[in-house]
Amino acid sequence: MIRTYRALLVATVQAAAQYRVQSVLWMLFSVIRPVIFLAAWVAVANAQGGRVGGYDVRDFAGYYVALSLVSQLTMAWDAYEFEFEVRMGRLAPKLLRPLHPIHYAVAWNIVWKLTTIIPLLVVLALVTVSFDVRFRTTPAHVALFVPSVLIGAALAFVSGWVLASVAFWTTRVHAVSSLWDRGAFIFAGQIAPLALLPGPLQVIALALPFGYMLGVPAEILRGGVDVPTGLTLIGGQILWLSFFLIAFQRVWRAGVRQFSAVGA
Amino acid sequence: MLRYSRLLALFFRTELQYELEYRANLLLEIVQTVVIIATSIGAVLVLFTYTDVMNGWDLGAMLVLLGCFYLVQGFGELVLSPSFEKFMEHVRLGTLDYALLKPVSAQFLVTLRHFRVVQLAQIGLGAVVVAVGLGRITAVGPLEAVGFALALACGFVLIYALLLALSTLAFWFVRIENLMAIYWSFLDAGRFPVDIYPGWLRVTLSTAVPIGVAVTVPAQAIAGRLDFGGLVLLVVGTVLAFVASASFWRLGLRSYTGASA
Repeated sequence: MIRTYRALLVATVQAAAQYRVQSVLWMLFSVIRPVIFLAAWVAVANAQGGRVGGYDVRDFAGYYVALSLVSQLTMAWDAYEFEFEVRMGRLAPKLLRPLHPIHYAVAWNIVWKLTTIIPLLVVLALVTVSFDVRFRTTPAHVALFVPSVLIGAALAFVSGWVLASVAFWTTRVHAVSSLWDRGAFIFAGQIAPLALLPGPLQVIALALPFGYMLGVPAEILRGGVDVPTGLTLIGGQILWLSFFLIAFQRVWRAGVRQFSAVGA
Repeated sequence: MLRYSRLLALFFRTELQYELEYRANLLLEIVQTVVIIATSIGAVLVLFTYTDVMNGWDLGAMLVLLGCFYLVQGFGELVLSPSFEKFMEHVRLGTLDYALLKPVSAQFLVTLRHFRVVQLAQIGLGAVVVAVGLGRITAVGPLEAVGFALALACGFVLIYALLLALSTLAFWFVRIENLMAIYWSFLDAGRFPVDIYPGWLRVTLSTAVPIGVAVTVPAQAIAGRLDFGGLVLLVVGTVLAFVASASFWRLGLRSYTGASA
């Protein structure tokens, strides 16, 4: 498996090298939305004398810089890609290869995330300076962040594939995945840090998987939660990841069995 | 002029018939639009649980602004993005010749040819959100209404000019989907008033990618927060942007050569 992955990664790096400009442009998507909501919360905080809940302006900046980094590291777009492959009849040959199609996607995600991180860090450094960001991060937080962001990325990736597998039955998943994205918009910590969602919304957010992909690793990275809380949140991440791993195996097996190729 | 509006109506009708072939999909997309707008309102409401006013914008004004955002975005997705996508495909395949040979303005035929009729739902819902927001603002006089209509029209034209200028680059670079992605990524910033953003972003959203202006100024106009000078500035800027992008388009057109031969 290690040798397979080495070969896959090398091939993917070479393929990705053709899309250098694209990687810089797509980075905009990871930066713009956090900056938008950061600006909104700064405006709210300023109207309230500089503080909202436990956050002042510099804390908001820390949270959204962390969120932007986490979103680049965890978000996966495989559902859209997968639908396209099913519809165009490109999936059929991939199913015949000895390697499960998910491995190609894993390699692509790793390479993509690692190559786009460099321009992103440059931009985030600029944001960090211009907003005078405060991080409350301790070494313990860093130690928690590493597993948290890895689990978050795995969670986003696997749940994306479960979603994508719907295409086996419906050919189109665009509607489903766009509803999923809206769930993430409200509950993942994009419009507000999870701690600032009003009462019932916060309870729902902690029960749903979205926050464990974005908001949780971001909050840990900025040092916004204490260590026991961080560990509990990582526990929640593990629960959701196991759920989606099992779901993926089931759904994929059933889907492949009844899949009938489209196209040529 | 009459001929052009008749053509426009014809384009619209054929595209409507085309879309009505996919009724289930149509319904799904409408549901999707409702969910998107509802969640966006939700985001604004979350912000306003902590404050009554954001940089001088109260909840009513903010809802008007959000409605304008969906009006402008809906206009872009109703006609501009389908038409410009087809245009880029024509350049790549060399089939633009067919459009150029027809006895109407090529710019008209290319930029307003295709419709995604379902996006009328987005425009309609945007109008509803504006109306709801207006319900919380007292007294909208005729002057404000005229200013609003004028500013919104300018917003549409500004977006049109931006997309025309961006897609004209296809004449030289052929594959420019990436450049269009710049528009899409900045578009999201239109959901809040442009004055809340830090300097660099505010400048970008007011000049190079004028989405902020296109959404914020109409909302200011109807809330009675726009002075006459601001409106004049907007109109002049819009006319300039339109003229500049149209001449850039003609420049690009000159370097187009059919790829089919």
